[in-house]
Amino acid sequence: MKNKIAILFIVIIAAVLYGLTLRGQAGNALPSNEFNGSFDSNGNAKNAMAFELSPERGRFVHLVALGENHTFALNQQLAKIAYPDVGYYGNQYFSFFEPGIAYMALPFYLLGKTFNLSQVFSFGFISLVSILALLFLYKISRKILKLPIWASVAAVLIFAFGSTAWSYAITLYQHHVTVFLMLSGFYAVWKFNQSQKYGWLYAAYAGIAYATSITIDSPNAILLMPVALYLIISAVRIVKEQRDLTRISLRIGALAGLIGFCLAISPLLYFNQYYLGSWHTLNGSLPNYQANSATTTAQILPAYPDPDTATEPPTKNIVGFFREQSIPRGFTVLLFSTDRGLFVFAPIFLLALLGIYYLFHQDIALESGILLALLATNVLLYSSWGDPWGGWAYGPRYLIPSMSILSLFVAVALANNAKSLWFKALTFLLFAYSSAIALLGAITTNADPSKTEALVLGTGYNFMRNWDFLMDGHSGSFLYITYFSKLVSLKEYFFIIYVFLLLLALFILAMESNES
Amino acid sequence: MNLNFTFSTNSLAGFRRIFAKIKPETWVALLSLAFAILASAYSYRHDYIITYGDAESHLNIAKRVIDSLTPSFAQLGGIWLPLPHLLLIPFVHLNFLWRSGLAGSIVSGLCFIVSAVYLYKLAFLLTDSDGAAWFAALAFILNPNVLYLQSTPMTELTLIVFFILSSYFFVRHLFNQKDMLALLSAAAFGFLAALSRYDGWFLVGLEAVALVVINFPYQLNFQKFWQDKKISQLLSERLGKEEFKSRWRQMEGSVILFSTLAFLGVVLWLGWGWLILGDPLYFTHSQFSAKSQQLGWLAKGELPAYHSLWTSFVYYCVASLDNIGVILFVLSLAGLATYLFKSNNRHKLMAAMVLLTPFVFYVATLYLGQSIMFIPGLTPSTFEWTLFNARYGVMMVPVAAIFAGYLFYTSKPGIKTLIVCLLIFQVALFGIGYSKVITLDDGTSGLSQAKRPDAERWLAKNYDGGLVLLDDYSRLISIIRSDIPMQNVIYIGNKPYWDQSLQTPERYAKWIIVQQNDAIWESIYQPPVMQGRLYKYFQKVYTSPDILIFKRNPDVPAPGY
Repeated sequence: MKNKIAILFIVIIAAVLYGLTLRGQAGNALPSNEFNGSFDSNGNAKNAMAFELSPERGRFVHLVALGENHTFALNQQLAKIAYPDVGYYGNQYFSFFEPGIAYMALPFYLLGKTFNLSQVFSFGFISLVSILALLFLYKISRKILKLPIWASVAAVLIFAFGSTAWSYAITLYQHHVTVFLMLSGFYAVWKFNQSQKYGWLYAAYAGIAYATSITIDSPNAILLMPVALYLIISAVRIVKEQRDLTRISLRIGALAGLIGFCLAISPLLYFNQYYLGSWHTLNGSLPNYQANSATTTAQILPAYPDPDTATEPPTKNIVGFFREQSIPRGFTVLLFSTDRGLFVFAPIFLLALLGIYYLFHQDIALESGILLALLATNVLLYSSWGDPWGGWAYGPRYLIPSMSILSLFVAVALANNAKSLWFKALTFLLFAYSSAIALLGAITTNADPSKTEALVLGTGYNFMRNWDFLMDGHSGSFLYITYFSKLVSLKEYFFIIYVFLLLLALFILAMESNES
Repeated sequence: MNLNFTFSTNSLAGFRRIFAKIKPETWVALLSLAFAILASAYSYRHDYIITYGDAESHLNIAKRVIDSLTPSFAQLGGIWLPLPHLLLIPFVHLNFLWRSGLAGSIVSGLCFIVSAVYLYKLAFLLTDSDGAAWFAALAFILNPNVLYLQSTPMTELTLIVFFILSSYFFVRHLFNQKDMLALLSAAAFGFLAALSRYDGWFLVGLEAVALVVINFPYQLNFQKFWQDKKISQLLSERLGKEEFKSRWRQMEGSVILFSTLAFLGVVLWLGWGWLILGDPLYFTHSQFSAKSQQLGWLAKGELPAYHSLWTSFVYYCVASLDNIGVILFVLSLAGLATYLFKSNNRHKLMAAMVLLTPFVFYVATLYLGQSIMFIPGLTPSTFEWTLFNARYGVMMVPVAAIFAGYLFYTSKPGIKTLIVCLLIFQVALFGIGYSKVITLDDGTSGLSQAKRPDAERWLAKNYDGGLVLLDDYSRLISIIRSDIPMQNVIYIGNKPYWDQSLQTPERYAKWIIVQQNDAIWESIYQPPVMQGRLYKYFQKVYTSPDILIFKRNPDVPAPGY
């Protein structure tokens, strides 16, 4: 019963807070209305608007193409909007992002269109998936790590509203879908281990989750590999039965994972073959469309590329974007830099190190090992990425999967210090800081340049730039823009949500005494 | 539903018998031999054996001892320690092995095999687990950076083998302090390490410190200190006067026994410098020393780790990571933490300290400016070079293998499988080029790369015998590749030919190779009088922006001397 209440609590809180901060504008976003006026007169995307950056534009234009033109390929008009993350094959344009998100969000786009809210509904799809991810986070905390309810809810609260993951749960990015597939896949393998009769269903789901993650972002093939390994390890048992007898036992149900994977990956391969000419060509490997010296969307993409060169484009090698030698720089940027550093934007995760220590101090269970492997894979993979900043972004967006796991480790630390008032006070202070920064980003803009770029442009960077947006009353929140801006100022809006969050944190930390 | 394969281990009795007949160490030796041959064949086929400038220098030093204008042990010089060159001598005698560099592959390969075997034994000593020992050995054997260096004449493998051997016997002594043979063996291999590279000096020094600490009459109780957080608890086991004296004598005995042999290499080298070069510390402050070279970089503002402990630490961490591979690096860190937290051995800290000697050594030398490294991703792109000496990090590969093996040992079966998968994944990352073989990159595109000027090819085609005067220190051309017999070379180590040739170049040499700003340039080409003499007796037969080659004019006879 308590679990059900906790789950309901999570769903309501997440729905309310995501709802209050969901990015968008009323109206069906179309090229004809310049995507609800998201561009200025020079054709540049406005900050603190739904389409401020190319990742959300690059995905949404495909939704528009699918919804309006019934094809995934972009016409020139849509390609202009997705610029600069646009490649070409033949006479057609494609954004560099894998097609999964666009196809998944399509029903929401079409539904939203009927309410004249196509963009809001499409973005709301990510919030919905994020809420599902939060539920799996709670489940993992409760069932696998055996943490108490209050600590499990704390883990959810920290990930959802104490980290910059918030900013990406309310716009059209792939990160929260990745988190959902990672956590649900991991949980499915654990369930596969626990259950005999319907184990194959869980294995099949894990395979589907792994494959689906690749359809939304190709590096997920590496990122979720520990989950695949977990399934393989779980499927094979070597048992010494008697002195001379050894039994190798393979759970046939695990093969459902392989079948699920093959079935779920085949649409992507078909897509690649159909649109890009080869089953193994990925969007991200398409040649960039060079915009010459054009600086505005009005000027770029004057014509289709030369068909002679476009039919056999010089594709890029995606593996080449990741280099081990980039790790030192990427690691520093992602964890410690003032423009993206995880511990600068969300110091609450420092407590996760203590949680890892507690896990190490015990005998490491396979599940803890897999969680650590997922964390390490994420950090190392994106540390070796050529652009660890993730373009213009708020916080280390590539580490959002890690943030979910770190939240679990913070919960482990909390549960191990349940009786320590000092520890709880420290946790509260760190959460107060981290959630303020998270809310600041969610309520204003994700368009923060790297420090180097900011110095060149003479603009601010990191959350201080968002502070300026807050002071100036620039918000990207759909509800605020549409309704609440008439009632309260943005500062007051921020303050109300923030106080609510702090009270929530106090309540959860106080829950421990009741539970014990 | 499960698919079960039940088999009797008796059905594998044939395999088991074969496997059991041969000791695990022999299997490790056979496996490492196979990989050594494959890697060396690969390097030979792709002409990678002497890509490093230093690789040829090592071969040439050995060759000159037995086959030069003035063959003698004095050719060993006073900068690089002599043992790697002494080991090369039997092989460089054959011109094919010298010119192909395979002489170095043989020596480094043998060191690699012995290293793998003793790494296995060392991991077994620390864990008492066959699986963990195999894991450590495989992590070492499958490392492409180690595999590449073992195919070259570079001295890293010579040091690694003596480092592992000395550490193995030292740890054995730590675990059983009555085993004095182990202590003597540790000292003997420490002696050889100290004659291989200067890292060895640090190793024997730290081993001596460890001996003092473990035999110290006041037993240091770190556990109590850690618990109570009081310094007084460090010396909690106070002894009676007699027992104190007895323990003191025991400490004295152990330290003297160890040090007499272990430090003999250091003493011999200092003595050699004094006798042959007139300065026991010639290796540290002569114009050819590493420090002198580093001063040049410092003047250019390109010695990034100098007097910055943090930068030195980061540089060596990243160099280690690049050599080990990112996954194994992370596993080894986890293994080190597990070892420090979970091992019940009394002397675990001392054992860890000895194993981590290379790390401390390189951080210290980078900090002091005694060594230099450029690492891509860390070194500013504004520097002239961004890759240099990254191979120093290879010294951490055996250490990482041992600690990753320890992690394997302490893990549950499921995690063990995961760790094995990660090792395979690491090898795959090297295979697909995500993890670069940085030691090879340094040799092929870094500052360590041997220069291959056009003059070298020209000389190989046109050399028709006679003595060649060249400043080999500036490495203007490769003697090996230009097909000049070693006994026809006049370089700084050929006394009195070198000094006399700088005064009267026509006296011995048929060929003179000059490079801008080298010793010959400054003595013969730059001074107008000497230049006149040069052009009187020699004809310029090759010109390039950097290198000039002169050939003796047969029509102008030399004056009598």
